[in-house]
Amino acid sequence: MTALAAGVAPAVGLRRATRAYRAMSRAAFRSLVAYQTSFLFGLLATTLAAVAMLYLWRSVLAAGTVRGFDWPAMRAYLLVAFVAGSLVSSYVDYRMAGRIQQGDVAMDLVRPVDYQKSRFAEALGFGVYELGTGLVVAAAAAALFGGVPAPARGGVVPFAVSAVLVMPLRFGIVYVSALVVFWTRNYVGVQSARIALVTLFSGGLVPLAFFPGWLQGLAAALPFAGMASTPALLYVGGLSGAAAWRAVAVQAAWTAGLWWLGRAMWRGASRQLTVHGG
Amino acid sequence: MRRNLWLYRRCLGAQLRATLEYEGDFWIMSVAALLTQGMGFVFLWAIFRAIPQINGWRFWDVVLIYSLVALTEGVAVLLAQGAWTMAVTVNLGGLDTVLVRPFSPLLQVLSSQIGMNGLGNLVLGGSLFVAALVHVHATWTPVRIATAALVFACAPLVKIGLNILTNCSAFWLKTPWSMFPFAFHTLGELARYPLGIYGLAVRLVLSVVLPYAFMSYFPATAVLSLGSAPWLGLLTPVAAAWCLLLGRWAFRRGLTRYESSGS
Repeated sequence: MTALAAGVAPAVGLRRATRAYRAMSRAAFRSLVAYQTSFLFGLLATTLAAVAMLYLWRSVLAAGTVRGFDWPAMRAYLLVAFVAGSLVSSYVDYRMAGRIQQGDVAMDLVRPVDYQKSRFAEALGFGVYELGTGLVVAAAAAALFGGVPAPARGGVVPFAVSAVLVMPLRFGIVYVSALVVFWTRNYVGVQSARIALVTLFSGGLVPLAFFPGWLQGLAAALPFAGMASTPALLYVGGLSGAAAWRAVAVQAAWTAGLWWLGRAMWRGASRQLTVHGG
Repeated sequence: MRRNLWLYRRCLGAQLRATLEYEGDFWIMSVAALLTQGMGFVFLWAIFRAIPQINGWRFWDVVLIYSLVALTEGVAVLLAQGAWTMAVTVNLGGLDTVLVRPFSPLLQVLSSQIGMNGLGNLVLGGSLFVAALVHVHATWTPVRIATAALVFACAPLVKIGLNILTNCSAFWLKTPWSMFPFAFHTLGELARYPLGIYGLAVRLVLSVVLPYAFMSYFPATAVLSLGSAPWLGLLTPVAAAWCLLLGRWAFRRGLTRYESSGS
């Protein structure tokens, strides 16, 4: 009897947990759709920035190929980077930071679900909407600027793996930087510093090939390259063979590494949380 | 008028002291501003390592335009950050207190906050600005120096006026978020690069409809004698006055629609 119960309980618990996380994803998606005006204006802002980049690169590449990029390839690179960058764009950390600052996070501590997995479930829910709108904008921009070549042949499989990894990787960096609020109690500064670092070192604005060698090496080893550069390069065929799989491996390693870093930080953070009574 | 300006200065002074109380936040915000603006500089530097010029603009010419946007942002954040509080103030009915005080409501709103990232923007923008002025190919005749002083001093006023104008949307939208004016703020960041790279529609928007280009690109063309019509840059003081008047007009129109929160 007890042996049977012990065998069944984990499976039931797992099923129940999965149901809880799925509900959180759905709720996150619905909350984004319900208040979409604010999100869409935010999207308009990032779209304008992306359009500026397309215009700038059109002028830069008007004379011909630079660092292995011609104008059509650069278009594709920038738009893949844009879609990758639209994932986990702000809601997860915004909510987390607000709850940490207000002390509401104390309620999250007593819930019978894992904190990090819950936030990841929400990020997935937001992500569906972010990916959808990001793709629509990218398609419109592609039409406006004269189309985008198809993904490079032979690189489709590593590109697909890399594209799937973008979301959990971006979640890792966003989650870790939101947990920093436990120590700094400031969110806006941490967020904008993170955005600056990610934008530059992910290669979202300028391919890492434009950096001097030492900076390229640094950027390739940091977690940021996997957030835009790796999938975008795989799409346009800038990475192939062993180099392609090496870049995907770095991406996967950082995805796992940041997940565990988040776990460790959460353990430390929940021990030193101060919530004012009231 | 003199009393208004005196009160404005006193309010900003009080905000500055309040801001500096949060020392940790101040440093985090300053470092974040340095990183954000520094990132843009590294971006330009990476591009110009590969090519000598874009549409006739060399590296330091573009850095001058870029630094003007950073400087303008710093000035706007220090002197008129309050414009960004309008969404929340209007939504919560906070203008009630403002309207009963004997001091220009617009100046009260503008001086109701000071951005902690202002200093970081000013420091980095200022350094890039000075470095660019040293490196650009220009002969510094007295006329050119006078022109530069005039147009560069007026440039931040363009941004402040447009910030007021776009944030006045709060009176009509009534949401507590500033996403709408923020989208326009991002539009303004297109003025970081020479206007010639854009298509006609974008050029028209940035120079006529919402003349963000007068905070950076046009003043730079006037001083460097670059671009297709450098004389347009001399209109920067006119553009600044126009934007400030537009902002004041929108604020007054908005006030007539303001209906408090009923609590």
